[in-house]
Amino acid sequence: MSAVIPAVFVAVFIAAAAKKVNVFSSFAAGAGEGIKFTVSLLPMLAAVFMMCELFENSGLADALARALGPVLGFFGIPQELAKLALIKPFSGSGSLTLLTDVFSRYGADSYVSRCAATIYASSETVFYVFAVYFAGTDRRGRALPLAVVIISSALGTVLACALCRVL
Amino acid sequence: MIKGIIAAAQKYKLTMNAIFTAVFIASGLIMCATSPQSFISSLLSGADTAARTALTLFCVYSVWMGLSRVAEDAGINAFIAKKLQPLCTKFFKTKSVSGGQYAAMNVTCNLLGLGGAATPFGVKAIKRFDAEGNMYGRNMLFIINAASVQIIPSTVISMRAAYGSADPADVFLPALIATAVCTGGAVLAYALLSKLCRP
Repeated sequence: MSAVIPAVFVAVFIAAAAKKVNVFSSFAAGAGEGIKFTVSLLPMLAAVFMMCELFENSGLADALARALGPVLGFFGIPQELAKLALIKPFSGSGSLTLLTDVFSRYGADSYVSRCAATIYASSETVFYVFAVYFAGTDRRGRALPLAVVIISSALGTVLACALCRVL
Repeated sequence: MIKGIIAAAQKYKLTMNAIFTAVFIASGLIMCATSPQSFISSLLSGADTAARTALTLFCVYSVWMGLSRVAEDAGINAFIAKKLQPLCTKFFKTKSVSGGQYAAMNVTCNLLGLGGAATPFGVKAIKRFDAEGNMYGRNMLFIINAASVQIIPSTVISMRAAYGSADPADVFLPALIATAVCTGGAVLAYALLSKLCRP
């Protein structure tokens, strides 16, 4: 499976070279966009990380995990991931913050981290997508798709954790 | 168009604002009582982690955005979108040609993991569908975007690599299955429910 990533790179580079694209300058231009993107993200990251640190050090996080742990445990979601599962629908930068926090705390190859990675990869910031995509459209008939997506994301989180146990 | 997206993003920020303010105040109050001396150091260590993470993210994004720019310049995105367009026109039940094209570009960018590039196309397609009164297509496109169809979870894999994973891509399969089941389930559920709910 790990061969997928290098294979994708090689395929794209061959296709680009065949089309006589200047691969070097295209790649550099894309990497340059990466800088801009990271810089635009930094203020949010700083704010969210500070919030997380306070949340953690005040003991609120433990209280929340204790309160929700049994419920999440029933669905097979590790209680270390309570915060990630809750913030994911609301904030991309917030959930990215929590993801890296889980990686550094438990090691990237632990079960908890693999679960976190799968949850992060298989779900979206639902409310953000809702706000951006439905802006200025007809207000009728929006509730059903939103409900469908929220339920399917919740089930997806459960499924992600179950899959990580067997795969 | 762009103004619409910005306005929507601003409205959405209010939700995050509420969470941020509530957590900040609640934690602050607790810390006043329990450990006031660690308040500032908590904030500083948060900012410190943010700076470190930004550096890792910069590495991740420069790799993947570099690749995606090469793919775009080689015409790979346009090629896939062209192949997907007839399918999209049917799937979203649209009569609008440009709506189908925008939807195809949106789905392509999503599949390739270019969430940022997908958004403007998606919003344009949604506007087209909405204008022709095609609520089914509009809602379906939203569902696909909100359920996150993605073939390679590039950010996650790279972040795991950056944190020293022995096999960062081993989440590829579970993530793919979870996304596929979740998106497929949402699409089916909406297709069924929209028929049932129709007056």
